[in-house]
Amino acid sequence: MKRASVAALLVLIAIPLLAAMAELPPHGSSETPAYTHVSERYLQRGAQEAGAENIVTDVILNYRGFDTNGEVTVIFTSVVAVAAILLLRDEERTSQERSSTPVSPVLLFIVRTMAPFIALFGMYVILFGHLSPGGGFQGGTILGALVIVSTVVLGPDVAHRMVPAPARPWLQAAAPLTFVTVGLAGLAVTGHYLGFPSGDEWGWVGTLMLVVIEIGIGVGGGTIMASIFWMMEEER
Amino acid sequence: MRSDMLSRAFDITLLLLLVACAISVIRMKDLLAATIVFSTYSLIMCLIWQHRGAPDVALTEAAVGAGVTTVLFLVAIGRTTRVEK
Repeated sequence: MKRASVAALLVLIAIPLLAAMAELPPHGSSETPAYTHVSERYLQRGAQEAGAENIVTDVILNYRGFDTNGEVTVIFTSVVAVAAILLLRDEERTSQERSSTPVSPVLLFIVRTMAPFIALFGMYVILFGHLSPGGGFQGGTILGALVIVSTVVLGPDVAHRMVPAPARPWLQAAAPLTFVTVGLAGLAVTGHYLGFPSGDEWGWVGTLMLVVIEIGIGVGGGTIMASIFWMMEEER
Repeated sequence: MRSDMLSRAFDITLLLLLVACAISVIRMKDLLAATIVFSTYSLIMCLIWQHRGAPDVALTEAAVGAGVTTVLFLVAIGRTTRVEK
């Protein structure tokens, strides 16, 4: 009885979904709103108007900067939520007491050799986000993954030194803080929140503002990834 | 024309693998194995994004989906139990 009602419900949901799918334009058609509406403008004038060669960065940080501003705030809220849940009993930290399993020398060698290259790649992805695929969030995640790997292989003490404890709350909030700061700078310069100067003479200022936001998102995103991992590790 | 066919075959292979991964993740009782298969799912998804011409999304999928999410799942399994009841 229960199975039958579940199946009936699924079919009931599937019918309108399939009907909606039938209304979609054919796959690969150039007549769809996605191709005829705003993307033409993005592709033709994005690089001059928005200040970045990478059109995706133009859309994310400039044309739809308000969305991204909200998103980085959401990511920051996630780390606050995790901290609120996991760090309720903050009195005694027990991470030192836990017995650590010995790490294989092969793993240790690989991590020690690769770490500088991973760090360099992460920074490259952040700093070249306006020119090539990638950006603050992707690069920040790579750096955060590096810190996580260091925690697992080299031990928490080495990894904790990478992100100094007094600066940690500020670094976690780096993404929304830089976003709002640059947005207010844009307000002062162009008269619009998140306004980026464009054109031949002042275009470089707009590009610089994009790069600053990318760095902020990268630092914030990476710290948040590592922090969530640390909080889950230390919780018991 | 030839490369078009190859590209389509590549796409179909990846999509079939994706569906296979998704179904096996749901059906597995061993959560550790499910996590590893789920990271494979992200890796295949990353290849699909790249093949579709979305390198930005592919990079995010590789770093977040296959990387950090897997680690967080592993920590969660380490703190709870490995086998689904």
